[in-house]
Amino acid sequence: MSTPSNTDPVVLVRDVYKEFRKGETVIPVLAGMDLELLPGDYLAMMGPSGSGKSTLLNLIAGLDKPTSGSVIVCGQDLGKTSQSALAKWRSRHVGFIFQMYNLIPVLTAYENVELPLTLTPLSRKQRVEQVKTALEIVGLGDRMDHYPRQLSGGQEQRVSIARAIATDPTLIVADEPTGDLDAKSGNEILELMHRLNEEFHKTIIMVTHDPSAAARAKRTLTMADGRLVSDIQNSTATGTTA
Amino acid sequence: MIPLKYNLRSLSVRWVTTLLTCLAIGIVVCASVLTFGMIEGIEHALTSSGDATDLIIMRKGSNNELSSTIAPTAARDLINLDGIAKDAQGQPLASREFITVLIQPRRNAGGTANVIVRGLDKVGRELRPNFTIVEGRDLEAGVNELIVSKSISTRFENLGLDGSIEINNVNFRVVGLFEAGGSAAESEVWADLRDLTSAQRYNGAVSVVNMRVPEEADRQAIIDRVRENDQFKLSAVVESDYFEDQKSSSLAIKVIAYIIAAFLTFGAMFAAANTMYAAVSSRAREIGTLRALGFARSTILVSFMLESLVICLIGGILGCLATLPLNGLSGGTQNAATFSEITFSFRFGPKVLLQGMGLALAMGLIGGFFPAIRAIRMQITNALRQS
Ligand SMILES: Nc1ncnc2c1ncn2[C@@H]1O[C@H](COP(=O)(O)OP(=O)(O)O)[C@@H](O)[C@H]1O
Ligand SMILES: [Mg+2]
Repeated sequence: MSTPSNTDPVVLVRDVYKEFRKGETVIPVLAGMDLELLPGDYLAMMGPSGSGKSTLLNLIAGLDKPTSGSVIVCGQDLGKTSQSALAKWRSRHVGFIFQMYNLIPVLTAYENVELPLTLTPLSRKQRVEQVKTALEIVGLGDRMDHYPRQLSGGQEQRVSIARAIATDPTLIVADEPTGDLDAKSGNEILELMHRLNEEFHKTIIMVTHDPSAAARAKRTLTMADGRLVSDIQNSTATGTTA
Repeated sequence: MIPLKYNLRSLSVRWVTTLLTCLAIGIVVCASVLTFGMIEGIEHALTSSGDATDLIIMRKGSNNELSSTIAPTAARDLINLDGIAKDAQGQPLASREFITVLIQPRRNAGGTANVIVRGLDKVGRELRPNFTIVEGRDLEAGVNELIVSKSISTRFENLGLDGSIEINNVNFRVVGLFEAGGSAAESEVWADLRDLTSAQRYNGAVSVVNMRVPEEADRQAIIDRVRENDQFKLSAVVESDYFEDQKSSSLAIKVIAYIIAAFLTFGAMFAAANTMYAAVSSRAREIGTLRALGFARSTILVSFMLESLVICLIGGILGCLATLPLNGLSGGTQNAATFSEITFSFRFGPKVLLQGMGLALAMGLIGGFFPAIRAIRMQITNALRQS
């Protein structure tokens, strides 16, 4: 595992095309995307529905491969990596936050957070430590034995954030993490994401439809029809609600 | 490895489906274990009847006792041959036996079936494994009494204790019930040799001679001597070989049973597969999540196979447990060699239970394999988009 130095980009997307095939028809989704993220970046991705945000995020997270172009993340050329190596790579480098939380319903909060740690060589004791720490960071140290159905949406999303950070990944990807939450819970999630970036120096990419959510990232990228429309530094980026 | 509790809890969330699938599998395993237990029982009956130190002497060319006849004078010579073991009174352990078949009504209006009636010398009892009178008393010679195997007595209308039957218009009365270690004798009705042959107007006729010859060399000498005697035209076979031959009669049953078990197992595999397909498609997003987190395809395959195995093994255990109350229960079927009723006890030993669990294992592995393959063939991004 190569550890990138502080100035090496965490994410390097070069001239990426992505198309999906449905039988005879080819659906072009990304048409020449370029993107670079430095360590500690916090990027918000916006754009109309169907513009290719999730597709790009999936490529960066190593869930899919580009049709052409290169996606290099944490020093790994993902397009040239085998499926099984990609799985291992994801478990080390990427934390996932989904719109629908995607917790395993039959596992408790504790067990959900522990799940990705079972893929690491950590001892049982170290795992317990890390699960507790992660759940305490998201403020759910007292809900460890609760099942997802016993938690509110906001709490579920916090468990999923704990799961995303438990393995201490370099990169965190979040696809509309507040999309299914009320304003108050959504705000709590955004606070947490801000902390992960500021306090724990995580590089974050977040897809969102909400401009005020995007405004709290360091940088906002706007897409349309699979192309970059704008990429601006948010001068007013703060961790608190405007 | 994905923790097993993930599978166990997923199964308990879908407990109705899980239970129904377990039951379906349990029924198939139960039915298969019953048939295997029946085959074991039949084979045991034939095996335990055959003693490697006993000889059966029959007419040359006959392959079962029913078609054999031995001249009375020859029979008398045979029981006095050298090398035959002696009982406590110094009598040779050799029994002249006459075998006939009667048609008798079954109990509970079950139609009629052939029953073997054997007339034999008193000493013949010692040639059967663990011969014991379990009810009533042993028969007395000369007064037309019968003893009946316990399992035959429960299957035939007139053959219970104190029952009576007509043999060629001569009345015979049942005075005792016996057991004989699950051997072929447990499919028979016994009379005194002379009583039976005189009723049949074959006074003194003999079908076979049974004898115990403990020494290998003596046995061989008798076998050779019988073969070389052109006057009598007889042959001597070791009893265990004789019954080994009779096992061919259970072969047909065995083949049919295995075919039925195979069909049932195949059906149960579909039940298991169906349940697992449903599990996989309803948990697509979970599978996508597990893969996103970095679980390898092989890990997820194993996890779903384990889930299928758990269902099938629970079903298998239920199925095996359901057969236990029937252990030792007797049943009857027709012996294809003698066309008469043979009785046996279901035997569910470790071998039969393991065969049943083996079927359950096969159902779990094969029934779980294809759904598990479907689970890992999904594109992660597609799986994550499922509701
Ligand atoms: N696996 C796929 N197969 C076919 N089409 C897809 C697939 N994934 C995404 N698409 C299509 O690609 C386009 C962009 O999708 P997506 O990246 O999810 O958009 P966004 O996240 O910006 O709303 C859409 O038209 C969508 O239908
Ligand atoms: Mg999207």
